[in-house]
Amino acid sequence: MIKFLLMVNKQGQTRLSKYYEQVELGKRAALEADVVRGCLARRKEECSFVEYKDYKLVYRQYAALLIVVGVTENENELSIYELVHNFVEVLDKYFSRVSELDIMFNLDKVHIILDEMILNGHIVETNKNRILAPLLALDKMTES
Amino acid sequence: MSDVVEKTLTALPGLFDSQTGAARITNRLRQLIKSITELTSKHDEENLIKQELSAMKEQVSSPNTTMKQMREVMVRAMYCEMLGYDASFTYIHAIKLAQQGGVLEKRVGYLAVSLFLSEGHELLLLLVNTVLKDLQSTNLIEACMALTVVAQVFPKDMIPAVLPLVEDKLSHPKEIIRRKAVLALYKFHLIAPTQVQHIHGKFRKALCDKDPGVMTSSLHIYLQLITESPDGYKDLTGSLVTILKQVVGGKLPVEFDYHSVPAPWLQIQLLRILSLLGREDPSTSELMYDVLDESLRRAEMNHNITYAILYECVKAVYTIHPKAELLEKAARCIGNFVLSPKINLKYLGLKALTYVVQHDARLALQHQMTIIECLDHADYTIKRETLELLFRITNAQNVTVIVEKMLDFLHGCNDEHTIIHLVCSG
Repeated sequence: MIKFLLMVNKQGQTRLSKYYEQVELGKRAALEADVVRGCLARRKEECSFVEYKDYKLVYRQYAALLIVVGVTENENELSIYELVHNFVEVLDKYFSRVSELDIMFNLDKVHIILDEMILNGHIVETNKNRILAPLLALDKMTES
Repeated sequence: MSDVVEKTLTALPGLFDSQTGAARITNRLRQLIKSITELTSKHDEENLIKQELSAMKEQVSSPNTTMKQMREVMVRAMYCEMLGYDASFTYIHAIKLAQQGGVLEKRVGYLAVSLFLSEGHELLLLLVNTVLKDLQSTNLIEACMALTVVAQVFPKDMIPAVLPLVEDKLSHPKEIIRRKAVLALYKFHLIAPTQVQHIHGKFRKALCDKDPGVMTSSLHIYLQLITESPDGYKDLTGSLVTILKQVVGGKLPVEFDYHSVPAPWLQIQLLRILSLLGREDPSTSELMYDVLDESLRRAEMNHNITYAILYECVKAVYTIHPKAELLEKAARCIGNFVLSPKINLKYLGLKALTYVVQHDARLALQHQMTIIECLDHADYTIKRETLELLFRITNAQNVTVIVEKMLDFLHGCNDEHTIIHLVCSG
């Protein structure tokens, strides 16, 4: 299962965090900093998976943003690696080539999108149209 | 994703001044975001957030705050908590927002609740009435939101209050409602399995739903149930094999494709379930040989997601009752992974070998040289995975060499978890 998903910039500033397993508020910043440090220390030619404590991290970098997913031992790392990409492609579709600022100015919407894809630490939807449908309907209702 | 942080940062003033920009976000939220981008120290951050929190405290207690403004407050609260600062005074207002707001505000209220409150939080009880109301709403969007939040966080003791309504949604004409109802029931099963025992029959209906999305959501429940006790579900094998065949054969609408691969995560899910059903059961395994062969063949394309499916396929082949031709193909697949220059594949290959070596030690021996090379690999993750593998295949002849390498590794290893894990496995 997925334990958490983070979007952090290279300076270590968290732009989005979603926890699927309860982690105390006070402990999150330290966890995130540690996780990001571990991923940023990796070189380009190294694999996108890191052992961390008793679980694993799958990370993928997109320009200034690092997306890190914490997963349990039995999870298929490569499928999560591609899930991250699917997520970014969905964001690209909604924001027309998403940027770090899009995420910052639309934190609630990015969460809403993520909620369509992952629930209780499991992948529940990967069809881009279906992922975006509820948010697009919401946008339409809000405009009118 | 565009790579233009600098470009967008200089565009910042434009964003604030433009008509559309101002219409979408108010002063306070944009000010907060602007300030966050300008932060240079932890001290700065603390001051900023302290100020922000006191401004928010005022706003939430003011009778003049509109629902629209409250939504902004929630987003600001999300930011504060994301940075690690407690904004618990806003929690009750999140629930109020879900209760009283228009659609977008309601959604943000629900979102805030799912982010702020965890299982067992006393405020969750206050959510129940709002959820009940929204579940019965003629507005599908509201019903969807309610189902989503129920699947994320809901007080266990109040399940009976919403269960009939959620159950009812299983036969709704819209697929999104049926799909989300199934996921809500999955949540109920996770937190209070006895409460949903009586509706297992309805999960079957969901599995056979004509909409692939609804069928997929039922698989979460089935994976759980089958992991707990596979025997009760062997009769599902036929249906699951048929579904996988159809997916692999490209029978799903094209929108379920990801880079031309049909519903890859669904394939992976099905392969996992089938492994559990076929394990130590020759007759059940017999039913799946064809489709596994098909999957191994179809996954020819050079894309990461295809490799991810292949990995799952290989694991399945080695988990169920053995079939020689399949094992051969799977072994070749693992070989390709381990020898691949693509580092992620190499990792997956090593991981597969570790899994497989319990069933077939010879495969590991076949790749001994590559494995020994990986032990000296520059990538720490690869090294560690290799060591893990080596523990499993050590035999009398190569034990000295391996123990020496292991000791070298442990001497150079700083990570506590790794040391404990590896020493215990040894």
